[in-house]
Amino acid sequence: MAGKSKHEFRANTLPAIITVGPVALIMLLLVAAPLMYVGVMSFCSIDEYYNVTHDLTLGNYVRLANTDYLKIYVQSLLIAFITTILCILIGYPFSYIIARSKSRFKRIFYMLVIIPFWTNSLIRIYGWRSFLGTNGWLNSSLVSLGIVSEPIDFLYKNGTTILGMVYCLIPFMILPLYTAIEKLDGTLLEASADLGAKPVSTFFTVILPLTSSGIFSGSLMVFIPCLGYFFVADILGGGNSDVIGNLIERQFQSGNNWPLGAALSIILIIVTLVLVKAYQKLGGDMDALGV
Amino acid sequence: MKKKIALLLTTMLTMSLMAGCGSTSKGAENGEVNIFVWTEYVSDTAISDFEKKFGIKVNVSTYSSNEDLLAKLKSESEGTYDVILPSDYTVEYLIAQNKLEPLNKEALTNLSNIDPAYLDEPFDPGNVYSVPYEGGVACIAVNTKKVEKEITSYADLFDPSLKGQIVVLDDYRAVIGITERAMGLSMNETDPDKLKEVEEKLLTLKDNVKLYDSDSPKSALISGDCSVGMVWSAEIALAMDENPDIEIVYPTEGSYVFLDNWCVPTGAKNYDNAMKFIDYMLSAEAAKTNIEDFPYLCPNTAALEMMGDEYVLNKAKNVPAEVIEKGEFLTYLGTDTLAIYDEMWTKLKQ
Amino acid sequence: MKNKGFRVIFCSIVYIFLFLPISVIVVNSFNATTTKPYMSWKGFTLDWYVKLWDNSSLLEAFSNTMIIAIVSTVLATVIGTLGAIGMYRYKFKGKGLIDGLLYIPVVIPEIVLGISLLTIFANVNIPRGMLTLILAHVTFCIPFVIFNVRARLSGYDNSIEEASLDLGANRVRTFFEVTLPILAPGIFGGALLAFTLSIDDVIISYFVYGQTKTYPLKVMESVKSGVSPDVNALSTIILIATILFVVLTQGSLFKKKDRRI
Repeated sequence: MAGKSKHEFRANTLPAIITVGPVALIMLLLVAAPLMYVGVMSFCSIDEYYNVTHDLTLGNYVRLANTDYLKIYVQSLLIAFITTILCILIGYPFSYIIARSKSRFKRIFYMLVIIPFWTNSLIRIYGWRSFLGTNGWLNSSLVSLGIVSEPIDFLYKNGTTILGMVYCLIPFMILPLYTAIEKLDGTLLEASADLGAKPVSTFFTVILPLTSSGIFSGSLMVFIPCLGYFFVADILGGGNSDVIGNLIERQFQSGNNWPLGAALSIILIIVTLVLVKAYQKLGGDMDALGV
Repeated sequence: MKKKIALLLTTMLTMSLMAGCGSTSKGAENGEVNIFVWTEYVSDTAISDFEKKFGIKVNVSTYSSNEDLLAKLKSESEGTYDVILPSDYTVEYLIAQNKLEPLNKEALTNLSNIDPAYLDEPFDPGNVYSVPYEGGVACIAVNTKKVEKEITSYADLFDPSLKGQIVVLDDYRAVIGITERAMGLSMNETDPDKLKEVEEKLLTLKDNVKLYDSDSPKSALISGDCSVGMVWSAEIALAMDENPDIEIVYPTEGSYVFLDNWCVPTGAKNYDNAMKFIDYMLSAEAAKTNIEDFPYLCPNTAALEMMGDEYVLNKAKNVPAEVIEKGEFLTYLGTDTLAIYDEMWTKLKQ
Repeated sequence: MKNKGFRVIFCSIVYIFLFLPISVIVVNSFNATTTKPYMSWKGFTLDWYVKLWDNSSLLEAFSNTMIIAIVSTVLATVIGTLGAIGMYRYKFKGKGLIDGLLYIPVVIPEIVLGISLLTIFANVNIPRGMLTLILAHVTFCIPFVIFNVRARLSGYDNSIEEASLDLGANRVRTFFEVTLPILAPGIFGGALLAFTLSIDDVIISYFVYGQTKTYPLKVMESVKSGVSPDVNALSTIILIATILFVVLTQGSLFKKKDRRI
């Protein structure tokens, strides 16, 4: 018996520990433990000098149930929703054209989507700010061409925040869509056409269902980060169109109220979980999100 | 595949080596000092002069508000920073929290340069923990070419005709404070009933604010993105240098006044270098360089004597004494009141 | 989609959208302006490409970014690859838990991971700096490596390994000579993704950096007071280097036959 369990140990347990041990350690210590700690902290309070005390309270959540916070959640969800829709509307036709292209430059077209994202994202967002400013390129050209007499106020609105979000997140839509569309079997489309289907009905009955996995995973990968990208709302929204991420960031910076920030994070986690569950219900593959 | 990986690694290594060579070229034979200061407040030239003179490497980090400073001091382990630059009310708070190291006055040979009017302030009697750097007010900038309405007070900022035109500090004590001033209250109001009224008033400012920026609000004023500002005085002075249409207005209610101070947080790892740094910043030459780059109020009389009329006669840079006298300092308010302030701020920014 | 004109115009607009801010960056790196906020055009100059080499804090930040990216990519790739193989091959208690935890860094907004790491680092008082940055980056890179390797493993035929063992090769040799080459594309893809995520990460780093500034954090700081043209110059150099890298490694792109890699 002892011999057998020793063999079992060498054949199974030991290699399992060696291979999975490091991953397990990191995930437990640096993902599970911190999140649990945030959960505990969300029930803590602060003393007269901002220090976290372990007097448990529901006060943070009560404060967050306030309609003013709710308005920011709704605004944030709305920004994320519009961003996602725009990403689909732009990303889908674009990915379709690129992925079905027979050009010999197809790979280059694909790489051209990725290359901008190897430049730091903050500085690209700042590029938008320079471009859209009152004295920026766009306004200068519009004024000098005589299209408008006074510069237009583009900056620091919900619209500019959404523009920035779409800009930052659209590759997360394009890449899964590209993969899904490229996998489409061309003969299937021909068959559909041969059977007399109009292009529109081919699209809705054949193409769309076959590429829906790409739309779902793309949407998830656009929607969720959008709730947290506080720097986009800072740089392009000018503090006027905050997302949930800004609220959290503020409580960990100038607000100095970690328990309140922790409670905000827990709410964001719950929103994320709901969305992920919905994604799984729709038949989404979790592994597709990280590839 | 192997070739590709090898190529990737070599490219990356070469790039980081190149960067590494560039960054280590400066000597640091006498160690380093980690300073944590306001953005756009301490001159890069003054810092590099110090580095050259003392052979001490200065690592600079910046913050945008006193509250940011407190947050970082709390979240970082002790000893991360050697020198900080908090305002009056934050010095008071840090002393109460035992977060400051007493300064070694013997090392501060240049302290005699400071005008006694700025010493021995109520937030740190006897200057045990802090010595003044620069000060000023948060007042109003107006682009006279774009704004027809005459603006003379904080209360005027709430006028509906200024819709979508104002840049204000991204600092809740400042914005709520000026609202209180506009209503004839103290900037340090704690009465919850009065704060309800303050909140109502504050929310009428919402539509007028186009941008919240504490770091470099002058940019928006210079570029014309915003035509009115409620910002730091020197930011206005710098904007005026670039754009002659901009004027400074000291509000009739009396301004929000601040004085920023050099301090050493407890547990500082390079205390002696910190003293050398602070002492150098108190020297006439460094103070002059700092004032030239960031023209705030200068408590350093030795530097003031060296400044030309361009500074002395400029009322945006050398803030007139009566403005300071009429103004009000912030005080620390305690968590309960600040929670009300924070709530108002959240409503304003939604 | 049949209309070629429409396709060309639509794609061109999207590409212009993608590259527009980049062109602002490149143009501003040649801007002769010396006053903050460096917005207005004051003439053409190459000075910033020279001055860049004197900006030691910027270069140091860049070199920190590279060190962190390389170290975390290597660690995440090794740990992730082993983990993916182990989880594919062995059964053990808590496997479902680890599996679930892996999805968290991928789906959760980065800010939540950032603040949760901050609270735990502050609580056990690990000094923030290079170490915490690398720990954080390894954490959010590992799942991406694992998913990429796992995608490769799903079509993997165990019998090849058995054959190798039968032929007398030991476990280690089998691993390096049989398993690894088969998984290589997945490993490489995961590593590249990890590297890309690491060099551009700003949100998570923002909460755990202490005094060790990375290049994105340095940019964040300069965004506050106006991005100076030397930052633009460095970004332009990095952009050109990455394009060159793509051209060199993916030379096949330019050959007539389109072969997927």
